[in-house]
Amino acid sequence: MTGLRPAASLLPASPSPSPAERTVHPLTATGVSKNYGRVRVLEDVTLRVSAGEVVALVGENGAGKSTLMKICAGLLRPDLGQISAPAGIGYCPQEPSLFDLLTTDEHLAMFGRGAGLTRDQAVSRGHALLDEFGFGAGRRLVVKDMSGGTRQKLNLAIALLADPGLLLLDEPYQGFDHGTYVNFWDHCDRWRVGGKGVVVVTHMLAELNRVDRIVELPAHPSRAGARR
Amino acid sequence: MNTLARVALMAEMHARDLLRRRIALALLVALPLAFYFSSVRNGRDAIAGGGIGMAFAIAGATLFSALSSLAVDQRLILSGYRPVELLLGRLAFLGPLAAGVSAGFAALMSGLSHPADPWLLGVGVATVGLAAVPLGLAIGAVVPRELEGTLAVIGVVGMQMSTGTHSVLAKFLPFYGPRRLIDAAVDGHGSVAGPLLQTALYSVALLVAARLFLGPRLAVRRATPVPVPDDASALVGTTT
Repeated sequence: MTGLRPAASLLPASPSPSPAERTVHPLTATGVSKNYGRVRVLEDVTLRVSAGEVVALVGENGAGKSTLMKICAGLLRPDLGQISAPAGIGYCPQEPSLFDLLTTDEHLAMFGRGAGLTRDQAVSRGHALLDEFGFGAGRRLVVKDMSGGTRQKLNLAIALLADPGLLLLDEPYQGFDHGTYVNFWDHCDRWRVGGKGVVVVTHMLAELNRVDRIVELPAHPSRAGARR
Repeated sequence: MNTLARVALMAEMHARDLLRRRIALALLVALPLAFYFSSVRNGRDAIAGGGIGMAFAIAGATLFSALSSLAVDQRLILSGYRPVELLLGRLAFLGPLAAGVSAGFAALMSGLSHPADPWLLGVGVATVGLAAVPLGLAIGAVVPRELEGTLAVIGVVGMQMSTGTHSVLAKFLPFYGPRRLIDAAVDGHGSVAGPLLQTALYSVALLVAARLFLGPRLAVRRATPVPVPDDASALVGTTT
């Protein structure tokens, strides 16, 4: 079993909220600008994501997608702009931020504790998530011995561990096999039904029919000029 | 209580992580031994060399522990930890580890080099280990990468090694107190309380510096609700 399995056990089986019901905005980024040195990465970006909405964030390399996600998660300070977001954010970075020599359960216990879960709660919830993602690795395997896709499943499960209302997923399917990748989008459907706001950074244009809205970050002219 | 549980869990995870690095663990013990045995026939110099080797080993291990996990640490902060809990978690593991290595190493040196006061040598070597942890944490909180950190550790410990105990500069370095204790142990006379107090104060100052510099590096900026105009665009760029 390599693909993601249905997440019915973790998500309420309520119908998808209508657009009129999407009045709560789990994420509002207003007028965000960010420079790295002299390079302007983001300029006056505004992004609003409603509850029960899946937004695809697209743009060419260097457009600032990951930077915007980090700013929205609070990991990076914008030069200008304001962020409004809930306290609990599930952030899945592009590169898994994990300890190479810790096991799955140790990661679950560690990150779960931060969210106020006991070790048993965190491991139990984590196992349920990983089972849905078709996590085939042994629980005693340390991260450095996992395949790229398996690491990414753990990376994603950690983002979901505290059942956050807002998910910021930066190319979360990297290394996934085809079945897992396709079923990742099924999970997006379920997160939508569960009322979560979801932002997915993606380059996979074939699946964009699975999202509610596509947001394209333009390459800023200063950088476009610099590449020429 | 919650803070204690988080600190204890982080200490446990750092222990698990380091205990799986068998080569690093072996080097942690081998480095001070190499320093010591390279001059074991020279009495005082051998003991001082062993202390310096231990300072390198413990500070280096602490430095790598801090710098290699910056990205994970920030994600842990996002999950709900506070920077001070991560710092204390590391300290709660590395401090006892340093004390354990020091105790074994002091016993070995006492047996082979016969200092005038073996117990005081144990105290002196223990202070080397305990001062090296805050030093590694402080350097790890300031420098951007392992290379810069390693050079900084070499610089600080090397200066301590090359300056005599009567040098003015030596008095401002973190291992001045431990060095005076080791000298007192070898000679059989010398101040104890002063160097102990100095080491304690220096270590606390380094921990405070580590916390101050680590805070901005790991900070997660909690978003605050802001009024949003109704006409705010759902996007920037293009919406399809």
